[in-house]
Amino acid sequence: MSEEQLPDAQGGAEETQRERRNGKEVSRRDFLQQAAVVAGSATLAAAAGGCVPQFLIKKPVSATVGTQWGMIVDLKKCVGCRSCTVACKAENHTPPGIFYNVVLEEETGEYPNVQRRFIFRPCMHCKNPSCVPACPINATSRRDDGIVVVDYDKCTGIGACVGACPYEARYLDDGSSYLESPSPYDGQPSPEYGENRTRENDQSPIGKVRKCTFCLHRLTKGLSPACAQTCIGHAIHFGNLNDPEGQCVVHDEKLQDLLKTRRHMRLQEETGNDPSVYYLT
Amino acid sequence: MSTPKAQKPKSGISRREFLKKSALLGSTSVVSSGVLAAFQDMAQAEPLTALDRGEHEYHHNDPESIIHTVCLGCNTGCPTKVKIQNGAIVKVDGNPYTPWTRVPHLPYATSIREASKIDGAICPKGQAGMMTVYDPYRIRKVLKRDGARGAMKWKTIEFRQAVEEIVNGGKLFAHVPGEKGREVDGLKKLWALRDAKLAGDMGKAVDEIWKVKTPEEKQQKVAEFKEKFKDHLDLLIDPDHPDLGPKNNQFLWVHGRLKAGRSEFFKRFVQDALGSSNFHGHTTVCQGSLYFAGKAMSEQYGFDEKKRAADWYGGEKFFWQADQSYAEFILFVGASPFEANYPPLRTPNIMNGVESGRLKFAVVDPRFSKTAAKAWKWIPAKPGTEAALALGMIRWILEHNRFDARYLANANKAAAKESGEPTWTNACWLVKLKEGKPGALLRASDIGLPKQPREGKVKDETVAYELDPFVVLSGGKPAVVDPTDEKTAVRGELLVDAEVGGHKVKSALQLLLEEAQQHTIEEWADICGIAASEIIELAREFTSHGKRAVADAHRGVSQHTNGFYNCLAWNSLNLLVGNFDWRGGFVKATTYDITGGKAKGPFNFKDGMHSAKAKPFGLGILREKKVEDTTLFDGKYPTKRPWFPNATDVYQELLPSVADQYPYPIKALLLYMGTPGYALPAGNTQIKVLADVEKLPLFIASDITIGESSMFADYIIPDLSFYERWEFHGSHPNNIWKVQPVRQPAIAPIPETVTVFGEEMPISLEAFMLSVAEVAGLPGYGPNGFGPGQDFKRPEDYYVRMVADLAFGEKEDGSDQVPEASDEEVAIFEKARRHLPKSVFDLAKWQQAAGPHWRRVVYVLNRGGRYQDYRQAFDGFKVKNKYAKQVNLYCEKVAKSKSSMTGKSLKGMATYLPIADSLDRPLNNDGDTLHLITHREIFHTKSRTAGNPWLQELFPENAILMSTRDAARLGFKTGDQVRVVSASNPEGVWELPNFGTKPMIGKVAVTQGIRPGVISFSLGHGHWANGASDVEIDGQRIAGDPKRGAGVHANAAMAIDPHLKNVCLQDLVGGSVSFYDSQVTLVRA
Repeated sequence: MSEEQLPDAQGGAEETQRERRNGKEVSRRDFLQQAAVVAGSATLAAAAGGCVPQFLIKKPVSATVGTQWGMIVDLKKCVGCRSCTVACKAENHTPPGIFYNVVLEEETGEYPNVQRRFIFRPCMHCKNPSCVPACPINATSRRDDGIVVVDYDKCTGIGACVGACPYEARYLDDGSSYLESPSPYDGQPSPEYGENRTRENDQSPIGKVRKCTFCLHRLTKGLSPACAQTCIGHAIHFGNLNDPEGQCVVHDEKLQDLLKTRRHMRLQEETGNDPSVYYLT
Repeated sequence: MSTPKAQKPKSGISRREFLKKSALLGSTSVVSSGVLAAFQDMAQAEPLTALDRGEHEYHHNDPESIIHTVCLGCNTGCPTKVKIQNGAIVKVDGNPYTPWTRVPHLPYATSIREASKIDGAICPKGQAGMMTVYDPYRIRKVLKRDGARGAMKWKTIEFRQAVEEIVNGGKLFAHVPGEKGREVDGLKKLWALRDAKLAGDMGKAVDEIWKVKTPEEKQQKVAEFKEKFKDHLDLLIDPDHPDLGPKNNQFLWVHGRLKAGRSEFFKRFVQDALGSSNFHGHTTVCQGSLYFAGKAMSEQYGFDEKKRAADWYGGEKFFWQADQSYAEFILFVGASPFEANYPPLRTPNIMNGVESGRLKFAVVDPRFSKTAAKAWKWIPAKPGTEAALALGMIRWILEHNRFDARYLANANKAAAKESGEPTWTNACWLVKLKEGKPGALLRASDIGLPKQPREGKVKDETVAYELDPFVVLSGGKPAVVDPTDEKTAVRGELLVDAEVGGHKVKSALQLLLEEAQQHTIEEWADICGIAASEIIELAREFTSHGKRAVADAHRGVSQHTNGFYNCLAWNSLNLLVGNFDWRGGFVKATTYDITGGKAKGPFNFKDGMHSAKAKPFGLGILREKKVEDTTLFDGKYPTKRPWFPNATDVYQELLPSVADQYPYPIKALLLYMGTPGYALPAGNTQIKVLADVEKLPLFIASDITIGESSMFADYIIPDLSFYERWEFHGSHPNNIWKVQPVRQPAIAPIPETVTVFGEEMPISLEAFMLSVAEVAGLPGYGPNGFGPGQDFKRPEDYYVRMVADLAFGEKEDGSDQVPEASDEEVAIFEKARRHLPKSVFDLAKWQQAAGPHWRRVVYVLNRGGRYQDYRQAFDGFKVKNKYAKQVNLYCEKVAKSKSSMTGKSLKGMATYLPIADSLDRPLNNDGDTLHLITHREIFHTKSRTAGNPWLQELFPENAILMSTRDAARLGFKTGDQVRVVSASNPEGVWELPNFGTKPMIGKVAVTQGIRPGVISFSLGHGHWANGASDVEIDGQRIAGDPKRGAGVHANAAMAIDPHLKNVCLQDLVGGSVSFYDSQVTLVRA
């Protein structure tokens, strides 16, 4: 038995070691040079997270030329762990039954040719949201940066928007809590909308409609949404979809490159809601 | 509206200013990174609201609100940043300085202000960590049993009183019906032998008894022992069997999850103070046989300091894993890294690798796991046939010359060095055949070649010894091998079947080939219940990536009665491609020393920091030895219970051994963070022992709630949760960086405050030990406990010094030290701890413990540990943190040991064994039963998370996964309630003495994603304690929460060993329990 028949076995020969990135074969040496840059920029992307306030410190611009915060979710990389779901719960102090994002799961195929798919589903922050016109008292609106928000001071919990959302991304806060006696965590105010409301004694946001805000209170502090930040599969990309050069604020990908190079879809496009969450399939 | 580019910023900082401020943006590569482009195109205009201006109150990412510590939602131990608001944890994220939570992780030198803005990724359990910490069922005061064991009736007692009772013993439970006259021995009595010198002498005399071979010689040595120590025989368990050791051994310590730092702290109590040999862990319930296969394969041959002669030594209880950051192909066997196999640490590199096209992976698992869902290939082989699959692949690889012949031919270190290999194997070494069976390795002296005189070192002493080298065939002639010789390279022929110097011999690789040729590939495939083409396809893929292909086997391979040999088989596959220590290959964990042993300071816990260490000796209750060496061997097999010369920490054998009083009775058990009753297969057998006050007279548990096993305790000492205490969590093999995460107090303690040695501290296991030391007068604690001028009165006296050791590094000259924290960092450090009471954080006392190392301690604590920089992990195409030693394809030490149950010699290499009981009788599945296995979802961790309301909501109830075909055949559909019954548990219940029963009833979930004939439930549900049931404390009923008891825990349906009858099936070589070899039936409930 000779080693020649297994050319790669020695592993030491640079020429034989190939790294395939983005479908392109590059030599190991090239790759290492690239890696220095890739790794460097990944560090920077996070630092850029620290720059995010710069994006927001500006007059809101129209949705066509200005900021449109959005997500690109790589379904290939989502491993269905739901860290996003719990991170959001912790960040936004949501009560039982309320999830600003969920992970849908489906099994298809027949043994042994089975597939399992996990679909992260936050609020779609639609450009043409059905929830906004559904509110008779204008308590919910779409900001110029594309984020659909609820004004807790206006909202009276009518709930028309809850039914209007085709993605079931809105919930009415019924005042319930996880524990009979609140834990030290429960007693803390929620930072949502930068308002720091403590959820107690039937005070707002109890009785209000609650939904994902893309962690607006974090964005304006230069931080990315909690779900994207804690995704262990690196499946959630977030950034300004309107910016042709826009970088994901968590990972090092350029958002438009992802959409250009990968097949993608959006959920229930037929509704005409024009959602801001894309899925790479 | 003007174009965004034309606008000038009117508020906030400009981009240029930002660039100047940010230390991370230091290099020119920044400009081309694309990040900036985003800026350039963005409008910089007047913000509208305070929110948009970022002026709202949000301090989660201020460094003053953050403490970097370590999660313990599971053993991954992800370093975390705990965000504190008003003294409470409001959010947990990943510590970005660490490879667990960020790719690439931040340079260690990054300032904490910068790092505070960057959150790493962790799993849902980690995100929900505070809900476990703030569990309303946490215990704050010491509980003493106020009814029969298991009756869930308690009274609270003062901490100090509990300690005094435990130390002094007496009629402690006279208030409990039936125990009026029961006298309990206290720890003071068990601390019988207190003279360390005497213990040392006795220990040496016992070694002499074990060294001699014949029963007559042993009897002679025993007689000599009794004469020599005639004045002290009352200190022994049994003077006729001095090798059982002193009565001190009747104190038994058992732990579940225990990591470094706390481990040393607790050993100091059990071994160094109480002098007991019985310090045992839980390894075999996890993946013991994987660890002990690693130990067997990592034994080195050379000078053994202890024996002062040449022998096998230094085998490490560890394992290797795939470097997922560079591998091109990984075969995950019985492992699901997205669910239970260090998910945050592994998932990003795996998924990024798949996305970029760098990595392809396959999964062997009867269940279609989340990992399988992302795999190139899913192979649902029959559980228990893992070695058959490996041997099928080995056969194909060897017969098709698809292995790394150059690597395998290297017979010693010098040869490895020449070909640029960090490791080498004994694949070409010759093994002697005795009656056709392989046994000992051929030695030079066997063929008339001389032994070689050598010199070894024991500390500063030079010791002369002889090396009898091994032998390979080279160019048809024998050549001798000194394995660690770095000068003379020896290479051997790989496939040898010959007679050398009158001995019939085969090379180790030849033996492996013959094992693999026991069956054709079609037959191996048949055993596995898969297609032969799949074996070939896996083998071809595995040998198509050079050294960047890895077989990564875990629990599904290890937790069978044949687990040890399954693991040897899969590790042997890795040897065939020679991937050890290669980047993208098979790698090991590396951690920074915390004991000061390597740098001999500044606080050398390894060799000092103690006034009077005890010297435990004698057999541990687990019998981790060859029975033939001891005075208990009467020449007959089977022995009463199995002996474990090749494994330690055999969790499932502890309590049954207590029940059988074999090899001796136990008087007191201290159980820490373990729940053998819940966690072990056939845990019902374990619970019987916990409830037995005769066999187990004193049972103390340390727990944070009243758990499934601690509910049977006499005393429960409340412990601190993972965010209130110290520990050094260490690493995992797939992590190629050198690291040491530090778990440190992040919030005020929940248990009540007590006073020990005049110091205020929260109740914890540390406080308990310090207090026992104070009451009993144990050496090594209190004033001058570490030596003159160094008091040991508080846990921080210990742990802060260990952090100082970590900060100092591993070089005596101090060249490995971390930097000193700046003034700003010191100020942040103190401010971030402003919510901690003095019972935990007393700045002056911490500073005093650290001495001149204080600022470096702060530097480490501010970063939650010590972490090698991203780029430092590589050494060309190899990893920098290498194993760099011999890896045994043939494990001679194992081959020279026997099963104490059959008297048969053990095999020293990979082989396929059918599932069998302790007498090696095959267990056939001939009835119409279902094969029960288990799995784990990422949402829960065995016994720990059922009470976490967020995780409950995510996954409220587990189910019994069943294949569509079985469901159709048996008439079940999703949601049907079924009871799990088996031959050993026909009622399908947990029998819980003095408590009642808990039925094993759960819901069926029908899926295409499981092999027909196999069913599986996820671990973590079906609780009956831990807040799931009512308890009575001080006469008050505290209602349980039924949500915490939802789902099914079917461990009690798992098979009981038909011969031993009070323990589950187990692997008698590697020690693992069998989790995946039981046959059950589902009955509609």
